[in-house]
Amino acid sequence: MERIGVVLCSGCGIGEALDMEALRGVAEEAGATVLTHPCLCSEEGLAAIRSALDSGEADALVLAGCSPRAQRHLFRFDPEKTVVERLALREMVTWTHPPGDEDTQALAEDLVRMAVAKVEAGKLPVRLQEEIEDAVLVVGGGLAGMEAALAAAGMGHDVVLVEAADRLGGALAGPPVHLPLAPPYDRPQPSRIPGLVEEVKAAGKIHVATSSRIVRITGQPGQFHVTVRGPEGEVELDVGAIVQATGARPYDASRLGHLGYGAFPDVITARELDLMLAEGRLARPSDGKAPQRIAFVQCAGSRDPEHLPYCSGECCAVTMRQILQVSRDHPEVETCVLYRDIRTPGQLEHLYQAAQEGAGAFFLKACVNGVTGNGNGRLTVRFEDSLLPGVEAMEADLVVLAVGMVPNSADGEAIRELHDAQHRAEHGESEVQKEEAQKIAEQLAHHEGTEILNLDYRQGPDLPVLRYNFPDSHYICFPYETRRTGIYAAGAVRAPMDPAQAVEDAWGAALKAVQCIEAARRGEAVHPRSGDLGVPELFLQRCTQCKRCTEECPFGTLNEDVDGTPQLNPLRCRHCGICMGACPERIISFPDYSVDAVSRQIGAIEVPEEDEEKPRILAFLCENDAYPALDAAAQLRRTWNPWVRIIPVRCLGSVNIVWIADALSRGIDGIILIGCTYGEDYQCHYIRGSELANTRLGNVQETLDRLALESDRIRLVELAHDEFQRIPGILDEFAESIGELEPNPYKGF
Amino acid sequence: MASLSLITPSPEIRDELHRRGGDTARRCFQCATCSAVCSLAPDDQPFPRRQMLMAQWGQIDRLAADPAVWLCHQCNDCTVRCPRNARPGDVLQAVRSMVIEGLAAPAWLGRLVGKARSTWPLLLGAPILFWVVLLGLTGHLAWPAHVTAFEQVVPHVLIYSVFLPVAAWVLAVVFIEGGRFWAFLGSSSPPRRGSFFGALLPVLGEIGTHRRFARCEAARPRRTGHFLLMWGFVGAAVTSGLLVVALYGFGMEMPLPLGHPFKILGNLSAIALVVGVVLLVVERWSQPRVSGATTAFDTFFLTVVFLVVATGVLSEVARLTLPGQVAGGVYVAHLSFVLTLFLSFPYSKFAHALYRTLAMTHERMTAAE
Repeated sequence: MERIGVVLCSGCGIGEALDMEALRGVAEEAGATVLTHPCLCSEEGLAAIRSALDSGEADALVLAGCSPRAQRHLFRFDPEKTVVERLALREMVTWTHPPGDEDTQALAEDLVRMAVAKVEAGKLPVRLQEEIEDAVLVVGGGLAGMEAALAAAGMGHDVVLVEAADRLGGALAGPPVHLPLAPPYDRPQPSRIPGLVEEVKAAGKIHVATSSRIVRITGQPGQFHVTVRGPEGEVELDVGAIVQATGARPYDASRLGHLGYGAFPDVITARELDLMLAEGRLARPSDGKAPQRIAFVQCAGSRDPEHLPYCSGECCAVTMRQILQVSRDHPEVETCVLYRDIRTPGQLEHLYQAAQEGAGAFFLKACVNGVTGNGNGRLTVRFEDSLLPGVEAMEADLVVLAVGMVPNSADGEAIRELHDAQHRAEHGESEVQKEEAQKIAEQLAHHEGTEILNLDYRQGPDLPVLRYNFPDSHYICFPYETRRTGIYAAGAVRAPMDPAQAVEDAWGAALKAVQCIEAARRGEAVHPRSGDLGVPELFLQRCTQCKRCTEECPFGTLNEDVDGTPQLNPLRCRHCGICMGACPERIISFPDYSVDAVSRQIGAIEVPEEDEEKPRILAFLCENDAYPALDAAAQLRRTWNPWVRIIPVRCLGSVNIVWIADALSRGIDGIILIGCTYGEDYQCHYIRGSELANTRLGNVQETLDRLALESDRIRLVELAHDEFQRIPGILDEFAESIGELEPNPYKGF
Repeated sequence: MASLSLITPSPEIRDELHRRGGDTARRCFQCATCSAVCSLAPDDQPFPRRQMLMAQWGQIDRLAADPAVWLCHQCNDCTVRCPRNARPGDVLQAVRSMVIEGLAAPAWLGRLVGKARSTWPLLLGAPILFWVVLLGLTGHLAWPAHVTAFEQVVPHVLIYSVFLPVAAWVLAVVFIEGGRFWAFLGSSSPPRRGSFFGALLPVLGEIGTHRRFARCEAARPRRTGHFLLMWGFVGAAVTSGLLVVALYGFGMEMPLPLGHPFKILGNLSAIALVVGVVLLVVERWSQPRVSGATTAFDTFFLTVVFLVVATGVLSEVARLTLPGQVAGGVYVAHLSFVLTLFLSFPYSKFAHALYRTLAMTHERMTAAE
């Protein structure tokens, strides 16, 4: 921008702590028009800002006063007309550093220079204005799929509901009753499926395609182009967003031989008992006799590293429902439950209580380790670690295994890896490479043909899966977001859940789908930078086709053409800047966030001479967690070392290594990056930004060696939003360790 | 397969426990809050969580052999903290009533007292009838207009001829029942060490001071009532013993003057009994949540105690103030209720005095070094 206005607020004690005249001089020296006001957030203060903008005196503003997290409702300006940078003089300087001190003043002056440099490099974003489709594609016609379709249709959107089977209903279509979805939650409820099917048919806006599969999905949110193959051939359609509700299936009980399944006909699964109860009979498969005692074995294959390591969250409640059905229709039958923990989350607790009190089932906490015949036609269920010492087993006429659920998902990243390996095995550069690729292809062969969405994405044809093959959301931060913008997983495919949770999940996913369509129409980013306009610009003339951006984007935004040149799909983009951090050619930038802008900020820092013994430390803080944490520490008036210069970044993943080199060669003594926890239980808003930053820092060693500098000068720290008590100490401790090193020899060059 | 230790659910016994006031056991979901908050449960054998499970499964045999059932003083610290309102205190009380009946000798008497809810007229009425008939047959129903000594109403010889055999019978029953219980306890626990009496003595000290009861929180007011009642009974028994010795050993004249030490001891005991029983009844009425559910098992025992104490005090007052016919009637009623108390001792809630003492002794003999 060209006409930069700096508005200095002297309220909240800023004016008393700092030499405002000197600050004004610094800003003017940097080429800005300066205005000082005693209370920027007052009516008069805001009016002064507005008149400066309206008169055309300034097209970019630095509002130097309180934190960008304070008074947000007051400092709102049209992002298409003005670049605004809010500089937290109050939080980052005067509340947290001694007033009137030389170092405090130097800090404030540096921050003003840096802010001016940033807006100087900033550009106004251009709002994307694309043709946006309103329709929602729902994949899977079970409970969650139908609920999502009805929810989206209820919000006025056309819906295409694609179901692989020849009828709607999904996994719950069989039994005539299921778990309660409504108060009083203490009894089985007649299946909601038939009613839902009628509602879907009557909704008008829902087009149902049964016996159909997705052949291909291209495009981006608001502009997905979908090919569906049904009994009458292929159909092409355009949709704005997608809900994947492909559900789950029971774990394969034939693998549970140790629990007698397969060996003894009277060992059955919960689903098989449901079928029996649906027919209104209760009989042992072996001899057709009515059982006197049924043993329900919970966690059959669940929470077991050999089978399903997780809890499916539903099986216990299903057992309670079955106990209530049995006790109602066959009161003479004794029902016993052998469980590790009864897990009936939420309202299903009422069902558990009903099974205990009304139905009179017998419950024993124990680890079942085998089911065998007892020689008299009955079954012996053996267990250990029961709460009754010495008791090892019980006898039953019928054993019902509560087996967990397995998601109907496809591992998009594994499929892509498989295809890549197959390609290399064929066209590899050497025999060794071909052989290795062949091995990988064989290991991944079971993913062949498992595609569900068939996305035309560089990073694979389906949603990436998280733990246990569930294409789960980034659940810590955003429970409904997946790693593919505009595509939302809902119901038991996302995470193991019961019907009530699946319904809620479906509504949530439908809302997210509609929200995404609306955001795409406005050309805005969705979560977590909701409303952000600036999309990345790629200066492709200088692209070397290294593919780092296409590989590292957590959201699969960039496809590749045959040469490996990235192809941007701006509406898939979440504006995190990880591609910008990845690019060795520095050709990716956002209008208001670029390699150049941050380099200029670094350049604006005044580095004192070596003999002044005032080291300078640069801190890149993740603006999602670390920066708010420091802001919170400032609210508590915690203090930290005044040598530190903070640059908030969208994600540590957006930190380009060139900034490190820039800083070191300018004589900055130490650089600290504070971002989110990474690894299996990552906290990063952009999935693996902080992890990528850590990997890239590993490569910085080379730069350090070249400059003959110690590796201790650079550090990456993981920090969560709530660790605000820790962050001043981290900065102080790092500053102290830098103080112990010799000054950066490049000062003054 | 024969070597496997099986568990078999018993719906019948579970339902019986439910009828006896233990129906809330169904709600237990084994969170172990009860065992965690119990101040009486030993660290290495916590209760009542496991006992709740046994009650749910109707495992009365295991419960009968479990000292924890009796180590419980029904403080109800567990009951007031149970998140599911499963009332472990009530459940264990139901278990105790069932165990008392199960160990009863002869069994039919146990059943008779166990069904006090319907048999109470018989249990209270039969002894009255017995005394009236006995006095009628021996020609002792013509009482003077003013009774100076109860010898004039019921000759001591009649009292001895009734109560000595009854006491001997009760003692024999206590030996049989106690022996059975002792054997059950021994079958399910680590081996006992040391002598029985060596362990019994400190246990009696503990009971005498109600030291253990004092660890209860919720039922602290009940402790005072129970303490007074117990010592009232002991005082009354000691007074009776001393009187017999004085009467025959030293030829003392009855009635004793009010200032006589024996008289004072007797009256103090009576006051302790009256205050104790009133405290217990009031507590039970006013604090049902903390006192636990009141079943016929509790009501019958409390009623008998109340009647014994009330008629005992009343006889003393009536002898001095009321016509002889009334005083005599009250005195005969008193003797009848004492007879009920004696005879029902091994089968009613009163039997806890036997079983709890044994269980505490057993616990002391099996405790880890």
